[in-house]
Amino acid sequence: MRANTRVSARGSVRISAMTKPDHAACSGCSLCLLVCPVWQRSRDLAMTPHGRAKALQNGAAASDMLDSIDSCTLCGACRPVCPEEIDPVDMVIALRRYSPPPAAQVFRAALPALQPVSARVLLAGAELSTRLLARIMAQPGADLQVAADDGADIALALEAGVLLPQQRLEEFLASLRRTKELIVTEGLLFDYLKRWLPKTRIISLGQALSSQAGVRKQLRATDLYVIEPRAYHADYQRLVKYYDRLRQECGCDLNLDLQRIAIPATARSLPQRLDGIAPNDAAQIGWLLQGRKMSRIVVENFEDYVALAQASHCEVVYLADLAEGTQHAQG
Amino acid sequence: MMPVGVGACPVGADALLGIKRQQTNPSRWQGAGLDNWQEFAVELRRRGVELRESIAARGAFATDAGGITYGMAHGVVLARSTDQVAALLQTAQQHGVPVTVRGGGLTTEGESVAFGGVLLDMTGMSRVLRIDADALTVRTEAGIFWHSLAEELRRQDLDYLSAPLNLTSSVGGTLGVGGIDVNSARLGCSADQALALQVVTPIGEIVECSDTHNVDLFQRVILGYGQFGVITEATLKIRRYTPLRMHYFYYASLKSAIEDLQLLDRNDASDYSGILTIMDCAVNLLVAFDSDERENAFRKTWQPQLRGHGELGFALRMLGRYVLRPWLLPEAWFLLQRKRELFPELQRGEYMRDGKMLDRSVVFSRAVWKMWGGRQMVIPDLATSSEKFVAAVELGNAVCRKYFPHYTLYCVGIKLRPEHRPHYEMSSIPPDAEDWAYGCEFEPMIEGRVYSRDHFQAFKNAIYDIGVDIGASNYRFGGMMKGYIRRIFGDELVDRHLAMKRRVDPAMILNRDVIF
Repeated sequence: MRANTRVSARGSVRISAMTKPDHAACSGCSLCLLVCPVWQRSRDLAMTPHGRAKALQNGAAASDMLDSIDSCTLCGACRPVCPEEIDPVDMVIALRRYSPPPAAQVFRAALPALQPVSARVLLAGAELSTRLLARIMAQPGADLQVAADDGADIALALEAGVLLPQQRLEEFLASLRRTKELIVTEGLLFDYLKRWLPKTRIISLGQALSSQAGVRKQLRATDLYVIEPRAYHADYQRLVKYYDRLRQECGCDLNLDLQRIAIPATARSLPQRLDGIAPNDAAQIGWLLQGRKMSRIVVENFEDYVALAQASHCEVVYLADLAEGTQHAQG
Repeated sequence: MMPVGVGACPVGADALLGIKRQQTNPSRWQGAGLDNWQEFAVELRRRGVELRESIAARGAFATDAGGITYGMAHGVVLARSTDQVAALLQTAQQHGVPVTVRGGGLTTEGESVAFGGVLLDMTGMSRVLRIDADALTVRTEAGIFWHSLAEELRRQDLDYLSAPLNLTSSVGGTLGVGGIDVNSARLGCSADQALALQVVTPIGEIVECSDTHNVDLFQRVILGYGQFGVITEATLKIRRYTPLRMHYFYYASLKSAIEDLQLLDRNDASDYSGILTIMDCAVNLLVAFDSDERENAFRKTWQPQLRGHGELGFALRMLGRYVLRPWLLPEAWFLLQRKRELFPELQRGEYMRDGKMLDRSVVFSRAVWKMWGGRQMVIPDLATSSEKFVAAVELGNAVCRKYFPHYTLYCVGIKLRPEHRPHYEMSSIPPDAEDWAYGCEFEPMIEGRVYSRDHFQAFKNAIYDIGVDIGASNYRFGGMMKGYIRRIFGDELVDRHLAMKRRVDPAMILNRDVIF
């Protein structure tokens, strides 16, 4: 059972994050630990979905585990492995509501609404520079429109546990309701947009780019292809098959563990995102690359790309750049 | 030093007298006065050991995978180093504070639940220290989950030999109780794969031990249920990784399936073998191979001798059964539903390549948790010699029928190593077993129903009574089942182990009430 969005009489949108089954259903199997990047770094049960759920079952409150709640990166790796189908991402977002940051730290002034002229719309997100956007838009058959309002502040509000004002959410969604296909860069929005816009096809930017034949042709058997974890885990049942086909077709290695869960290249806590604390991704990248043999790393997510380009000794390519290479080759 | 809170005989048949065997709190340690705990906590922190006393820290460990026993530690220590574990045990010994050690927490009888005192969470020590790809050994901290170990080994195209089909069993916990895999009929129990251990004794000494060095300690710690020391590091045998090809054969009779399982084991006819039932009239014998050569030899020599059917043949046979017995249609519906739910889980495309299963533990563990997991689990078991096994399973099956509408039996052989006989003393390995022992877990499906603790306990007792009657052993004889220990092993053996325990653990602090 998944979360629903409810509109309160006071004009706030509340995402009913305490879904059923919730923490009470946790059997303590620890499967979430095995895929959790915070566990990988800390080896501390208290910082994991299992630790939070069991603590809540046995008398703890959100205020007793603020560090643990803040530490979650919302990568969503724990979602598909939970045998009880608890949604630990929703659980953390709900717990963050007990001690949210000021709304002003999250929301920005309204942006002009999109006038839809295309059936395909890209929510580019703050990370895509104008240069990169131009490359994506220039791909053959892209027929894309970039949304002026990318909902980045909404994603941040969700991540921080800040209640969404109904007006802001309505503004954001109004411009997207007539869209047939929505391409999403911010993985956290992926899951919520599927709930808010059930008739719209929502796909990740990584899938949109990697599904192009020209891009696939450029992928090599010696590549490590780094999937963006949030969108992947939010649509796991479909995407695990999609990427398995990609691997079979291209022969490339994927950033998947033995359970076929994506190993994030970066693992950033809420304080790191909100307060701009300099991340230290070395340990996480070290685990991702340990023992892997590749000649090149191809990365879906721009944040991961930047981190890997700084930390890795081999060539690192952003997927959109690979797409541009395709265009040049064809031109 | 006089044991604090321990009676004259902690292993008496009446060890749980007055609280019945479904008790959740056998002898909660009350802190021996608040001052004693406070003094202990101050001393421990002075020695640089972090002690967590918040409700969030303690509540996370209030129960185990069984979900039937509940207990709160006074404080939690997250193991970070062997020295820190030693400091904890030295201080606990001085103050008479019980220390309960926990790895994956997958016990079902409350063995890893702290009823007061300190809960030592070993998963904080879960780093792989050295992989020797030439010698095919790995040295690892013992709090590591087998799956985490596999993740690291696989990056070098290596694999562990055998481990429980549960991703979150810890290495240390498994070596302390045995551990069975579907290749145990060839390779022995998981504990047999240990070459050397670093152990912290109950008085806080750090000792390296093996079959040639500090032999007595090694023999007692392996399969010792945590009574004689905390395993902090382990050196294990490993091997080259191979995917495996799985075959399933279906039987309507438990007896036939078990006899065929033992036939295969006796003749080394497969690399993996085991029995998993859907119902006692739908028994699955699984057989798997690491190489095409072994598989071809099996097909040629042994498969024709098996009495089991393929999936289609068995479906036709079952169809005949239900056409003739329409009043059994609810049973047929259950089997069909179970097949629809379980079979796809065992054949998910992302875990298969070219018809071969890539990671058996991933596939089976995910299926086990999805199909059988829940907030409460009871898994009583019987371990016998080869000769007694059919009778033990049939008797246990009759008990299951009486108590639960649906249940699963999981049976596997365990190759015994003669040189490891001393390891097996007072463990799940029955003393009369030669060459192979056989184990069967009886796992009821809870299916959202609510059962009382009395019901669960009466079920477990009925299974264990079979073992006492026929001379079997049990895997889970600690915790809530410890009232059976003298009945299973006899007074002479138990008293000898109790005397050893009292010598090495004067205050009886380590894993109190698990066995002693």
